Amino acid sequence: MNSIHYFGIRHHGPGSSRRLVSALEHLKPAMVLIEGPADLSALAPLLAHPDMRLPVALMAFATDNQGASIYYPFAEFSPEYQAICFAVSQQIPVRFIDVPVAQQLAGLLNKSTQAPESTNDAETQHELTEPATAAAASAASSQDPMAMLAQLAGYEDGESWWNQVLEQGSMDDPSLFASISTTMAALRHDNETAETLRREAYMRLQIAEAQKEVEGPIAVVCGAWHVPALQTTHSKKADKALIGELPAKLSAKQFASTWIPWSSPRLAFGSGYGAGVTAPQWYLHLWQQGNDEHAMIHWLTRVANALRDEGTAVSTASVIEATRLCQSLAMVRNRPSAGFEEARDASIACLCFGNPLLWQQIESKLLLGDAVGAVPEDVPLAPLLADLQQWQKQTRLKPSALPVELSLDLRSDAGLAKSVLLRRLQLLDVAWGTPASTGNSRGTFRERWTLLWQPEFAVRLVEQQIYGSTIAQAAAALTAQRLQSEKRLANLADLVLTSLEAQLPDTAALGIQKLAERAAHSSECLELLLALPPLVDINRYGTSREMTLAHLADLVEQMVVQAALALPFAVRNLNEEESERFQQAIDAGHRQLELAQCSSHVLDTWWKALVDITHDDGCDAGARAIASRLLYQNQRLTADETQGLLQKLLSPALPVLRTKSFFAGFFANASEQLLYDHALRQLTNDWLMSLEPQAFIECLPVVRRVFSTLDAMERRRLIDAALQGTPTATVIDATPHQLELLPHSLSVLTKLLQGDPLWMN
Amino acid sequence: MSDILRQPAEVIYQAELDALKADDHGAKPENWQLSPQSVVTYLMGGTTASGVVISPKYIGQRRIIETAVATLATDRALLLLGVPGTAKSWVSEHLAAAICGVSTQVIQCTAGTDEQQIRYGWNYAQLLAKGPSREALVPTPLYRAMENGSLCRLEELTRMGSDVQDTLITVLSEKMLPVPELNDAIYARRGFNIIATANNRDKGVNELSSALKRRFNVVVLPLPDDMDQEIDIISRRVSEMSRDLQIPHPKNAAEEIKKVVTMFRELRSGSTLDGKVALKVPSGNLSTAEAIAVMVGGLSQAAWFHQGNLNAQAIGANLLGAIVKDPVQDKLVLEEYLETVLKKRADFSDYYHSINELL
Repeated sequence: MNSIHYFGIRHHGPGSSRRLVSALEHLKPAMVLIEGPADLSALAPLLAHPDMRLPVALMAFATDNQGASIYYPFAEFSPEYQAICFAVSQQIPVRFIDVPVAQQLAGLLNKSTQAPESTNDAETQHELTEPATAAAASAASSQDPMAMLAQLAGYEDGESWWNQVLEQGSMDDPSLFASISTTMAALRHDNETAETLRREAYMRLQIAEAQKEVEGPIAVVCGAWHVPALQTTHSKKADKALIGELPAKLSAKQFASTWIPWSSPRLAFGSGYGAGVTAPQWYLHLWQQGNDEHAMIHWLTRVANALRDEGTAVSTASVIEATRLCQSLAMVRNRPSAGFEEARDASIACLCFGNPLLWQQIESKLLLGDAVGAVPEDVPLAPLLADLQQWQKQTRLKPSALPVELSLDLRSDAGLAKSVLLRRLQLLDVAWGTPASTGNSRGTFRERWTLLWQPEFAVRLVEQQIYGSTIAQAAAALTAQRLQSEKRLANLADLVLTSLEAQLPDTAALGIQKLAERAAHSSECLELLLALPPLVDINRYGTSREMTLAHLADLVEQMVVQAALALPFAVRNLNEEESERFQQAIDAGHRQLELAQCSSHVLDTWWKALVDITHDDGCDAGARAIASRLLYQNQRLTADETQGLLQKLLSPALPVLRTKSFFAGFFANASEQLLYDHALRQLTNDWLMSLEPQAFIECLPVVRRVFSTLDAMERRRLIDAALQGTPTATVIDATPHQLELLPHSLSVLTKLLQGDPLWMN
Repeated sequence: MSDILRQPAEVIYQAELDALKADDHGAKPENWQLSPQSVVTYLMGGTTASGVVISPKYIGQRRIIETAVATLATDRALLLLGVPGTAKSWVSEHLAAAICGVSTQVIQCTAGTDEQQIRYGWNYAQLLAKGPSREALVPTPLYRAMENGSLCRLEELTRMGSDVQDTLITVLSEKMLPVPELNDAIYARRGFNIIATANNRDKGVNELSSALKRRFNVVVLPLPDDMDQEIDIISRRVSEMSRDLQIPHPKNAAEEIKKVVTMFRELRSGSTLDGKVALKVPSGNLSTAEAIAVMVGGLSQAAWFHQGNLNAQAIGANLLGAIVKDPVQDKLVLEEYLETVLKKRADFSDYYHSINELL
């Protein structure tokens, strides 16, 4: 009978890894068994492929689009990874022994059909958490044995206790695995979840199976929690009965599995990965530097560098002090060596000058990292790419490395499908298509796109894999996440609009809810104004698609009123850049308002705000200009009033900076007024004539910009008018032949103007 | 009971310090009375090996105190930073009492503090009689601490002018105090260190130069982050103070403390505890220390003028003084709070009425 050696490890524990590697080298096993889905054993050796760059995850997903998927992430410091690498390098068989994904996925699918509340796109993606730590992490904290042990030992949480007692220092002694097993046996209660018991039964049977196959010692690498259960003998009959409770397997066609690149931040517990660690980068550091006596100095230097990148000056002397503080903190806390907590506290006290905000600024980058793994090319295709290929086939869109113009008619199903695909990809940061004209075509049935496929899009899609296994699902989940964290109203509104266009109604509904919450708390005028155009678009879009966008119209009105009330106070003391932004925002906001069909009292508030700005000397000249122009164009300011206003605000007595920006603001997009309004022209003329040469030169770019909207003919008329005081007819030198043709041309023109269909004859 | 209004920490808590010392077998840095672990126990509370109960002096995160003690165990100076009323001076006093048994070597830094009050002064009679000599120097608390290897406390470091602050640089980095007049220097004995406190709300007063700042390890003392903790702190201090001041401590004090803390926390954070109503924030910072002052004021008023009844009338006037620091703005803030929040709460109706009367 060959001997079985159990190695209870902690998932993603660098100390476990180190000890495991030395124990395996010592043991020289004939076979390595690892806690992982048994039916994916064939994929395991791929992990040792030279092109595999960690972190990566083993992924299995149901192919029938229900979005059930399971991930098993691996990092460089994961004991499982090290065990696989060891087995491959020693050319001994390596095998997974846990419940097959075919059954786990079936279980997930059953669960989601039984639980109708999980219909939300963002929630149907289940992540399997390793029950070993799930028992510790997700169970109620009072029943969390690791945390209990840690608290007894005076540590902040179970994580750091593990770090300190088991995973630090250079304990190369393999007998430690025995004591871990004893500890776990003492901790385990009889109230394990049925799922855990079934998994352990499955593993026991697999181990027994393996025992028959090879001669020599067998190494079993599994979560420490399971070791006592695997070591005790159970009758095969009882185990088989337990396994019988597992859901029926999915057939091979119903699911697929592959390696996908994973990212360092997604290894973290905070990202929703149950068996994750708090600080992947710290673990990586422990793995790479753990045996080095200067490891702490390396880490603190990294902290210092991160702070320097953020613009805080941190001297080398401070790093030395931080190192010393680490040591003395460890002494005060009666710990064998300084750990993560000590490093953090010392960094805050010595490197951040006690300012926890500085630490928080660098914390996520420092602890989570931004590394993304890569998988070799011969690995089967990731589901999102597979989904994209299917879409491409269905919509007959081919990736091309050269720009391709595409015009879509949204009334046809094919056109709509294409548009939806492109929008969803946009939400996934895959800018395959860029809308050719922005803004103006929105809400109509025609869209123009420029398509350009770039190779890195595939990589990005694989990275976005973590959000879901279909494009629709991933787009919805990623957008939902962005909506949660987005603070700016305008960006929120844009996201909602894109979600609607991408036909993700649940996400859009979430976005509208977020918008309403944010808008209620926002008093910043510019933000409100900028959010208006996409919102009004959404409202119009919703009505033309017969979509129920509850309360959206009310929200628009509320925001208009808020913006109108804040506006007169917001447009004070602006610099040139801010003024420019406000002018554009007021102009765009107003245009949308005309489309929004607001109730009259809302409009009244808006007009009142514009009137207030126009007459308030404290307001920014550019904003006053645009407000007065809007009033003038809408006949809310009489010709006399306008003249009076211009006279006042273009007066040579005012500083040229102010008159210049007023002029630019008033006549931007409205220069044709100068052609028709004699009085305005005269006032402008007087102002320009009054300028000093130097000031005039300063004004030239503005004047040029204003007049550039006129075409050649209009400009000519303007010059004539300015020179002669009244507009004159343009003189054309005509040859006698042309004169002969004139009566004919005139009659054609007349017919054309009368709408005669036979005008050509 | 002695007739001294308030004894220093090492006298009040002498029994606790002695008990800790008796059971302390840990390694001690030179010239420390207690091991660092025992110092932490003294501040955070606990039980000694022989069963003596140590009362907690600081209620909050243990790791803050550990960082502070660990800092002092190296030769780095400690700067305690925080908004007013976060127990900076309190922690500094107790640290000094526990580590070197003397908490009275204090320099209160003000705008008027000059170098002579930091380094040394001259005894002019001696100076004229015998000329410059060591005997003619008048030592300051810092000087003494360096000589006998103990802790010197600097209160409100940033209140003092920047030029005077910078005299500390040599002391902190080279651990010596030059006396150029005598071509001599005072060398610090082991165990010497500095605990400074500073207020980070008005740090604009005389911000520390970066040269000085990087010679300190900075520990920020936060406002208590959960309500129960704050109530605990206030009840402890209030009962201690009412005992010292010989004011009776009525039974309903706990209830009233809870209400005062509720009001303080809501106004401080700018929203009601349930997060449903947004509020304006008054200009004062409404620290825990102020809540303690309000309660002690209320107790005193109740004892002398309300026949021992601690009620909204007794507390109201003190509350008003704590919240309204700016007679125009803060009054509006308080009125809004009364009308939008307190008015709707049945159990706060007496506060609503009594504060409204006072407004």
